[in-house]
Amino acid sequence: MDRWIRRTVERHLPWNVHLDLTYRCNERCIHCYLDHEDYGEMTTLEIECVLRQLAEAGTLFLTLSGGEIFLRQDLFELIAYARRLLFDVSVKTNALLVDAEKARRLQELGVRGVQISIYSADPEVHDSITKVRGSLARSLAAIRLLQGQGLHVKIACPLMTHNLAAYRGVQALAEELRIPYILDLTITPKMDGGTSILSLRNPSQDLLPILQDPIFNPKSCDRDDVSQPSLATGATGSSSASGLESHAYDDIPCSAGHNSCYISPYGDVFPCVQMPVATGNVRRERFEEIWYHSNEMNRVRGVRESQLPVCSSCTIRSHCERCPGLAQMEGGDLLGAYERACELAELKARIAGVEDPVSALHVKNGRDAVSCKVPPLNVLPQASA
Amino acid sequence: MIESPARNPSLAWREVDGEIVIISPEDSQVHELNETASLIWKYADGIRSCDEIAAELAAEFDVALEAARADAAELIEALEEKRLLLVAAPVAG
Repeated sequence: MDRWIRRTVERHLPWNVHLDLTYRCNERCIHCYLDHEDYGEMTTLEIECVLRQLAEAGTLFLTLSGGEIFLRQDLFELIAYARRLLFDVSVKTNALLVDAEKARRLQELGVRGVQISIYSADPEVHDSITKVRGSLARSLAAIRLLQGQGLHVKIACPLMTHNLAAYRGVQALAEELRIPYILDLTITPKMDGGTSILSLRNPSQDLLPILQDPIFNPKSCDRDDVSQPSLATGATGSSSASGLESHAYDDIPCSAGHNSCYISPYGDVFPCVQMPVATGNVRRERFEEIWYHSNEMNRVRGVRESQLPVCSSCTIRSHCERCPGLAQMEGGDLLGAYERACELAELKARIAGVEDPVSALHVKNGRDAVSCKVPPLNVLPQASA
Repeated sequence: MIESPARNPSLAWREVDGEIVIISPEDSQVHELNETASLIWKYADGIRSCDEIAAELAAEFDVALEAARADAAELIEALEEKRLLLVAAPVAG
């Protein structure tokens, strides 16, 4: 697979596309970066036209998401169309509207994966985030229906101040359900640039228990004490990421604009859902015209790690999960460093044994990593379930 | 009975530089086909017989028909075992 991913990067083949079908949603998650009003989302025919163009362009992996995709009356028509075009289809949903029949249809249509957001095993916490009473119970019931149909289900758990202590419970829930899960440590700004929801972001220091959890970081403690891997494979990462990891990305910031992109319900094409760089609109131009010839897409595509003015010289770059999109949204510079990434990198570097790690940004600003001091492991507080 | 292999319709796949990559939604297995298998894949339309596919291989790679038949049979069987190809008898008429 790595060979194939490398080939798609070299040829700039748009192998992986995230298509949001709607921003409407039946939940109102407090951390959500979307505006849930409908400003004229693409019609069935428009989306089918986009799907044909994506298939012609070579797209294989298609992730359908929202908002809540089951609010689209034409969802199954669109999935069926995508499957006839031989896409590998995965969906992201809160699953509140998934019943036995819908689960059966998803399986029948050959949907490969279903990702569902679960914020806590405690319904009070989960429902307080979604703002829908009973939503946890409904999502869990849907997971069981989907599993009953043999579908591959994964839990995504964005962590914010409201549910930080809940991650062990989500972990236990995933193990009970025997499904993989991902903890997303990133709360991103709103797509319109609004930063109010960043107040929900956990201070970096508060993420230490998770970063040091041997399940996610076996090197954080004595190897002899590492427990056996969980049946439910866990990871930290982005719940919006494709999950296609590869060394093919080693010399580029990420896959955005290289072999992956994002299309909004209004037809806007971005290198990534987290990268607010408008490159064109499929309602006005053909997808391949945008993908290969948009000035903005080519600008993003042209960036290399070595060109990053601050980060390229950072001694702890290997511990950093810098997102170019967040660099743009939080630092105002697609090629720049941003505080959050530096804080987390310093924490991870210290956990990994680097003595006094300081990011290049902090060196440049004459700062020590004073806000990120990591106490010895044996005095760390344990996160409660 | 002449058999005509057909691509399993449940699969997702694409061609890149003449080679086929297939994803199975059932088990998320990724299958990468070499040049010869990719050609068989493209001709496996449920209409062409195994012999007809072998003839295409022989022409494409400029090899003897018997050698192409042997290769095709082996590869079709391997793809069928993985349920990537479904081998069925053609509709009479």
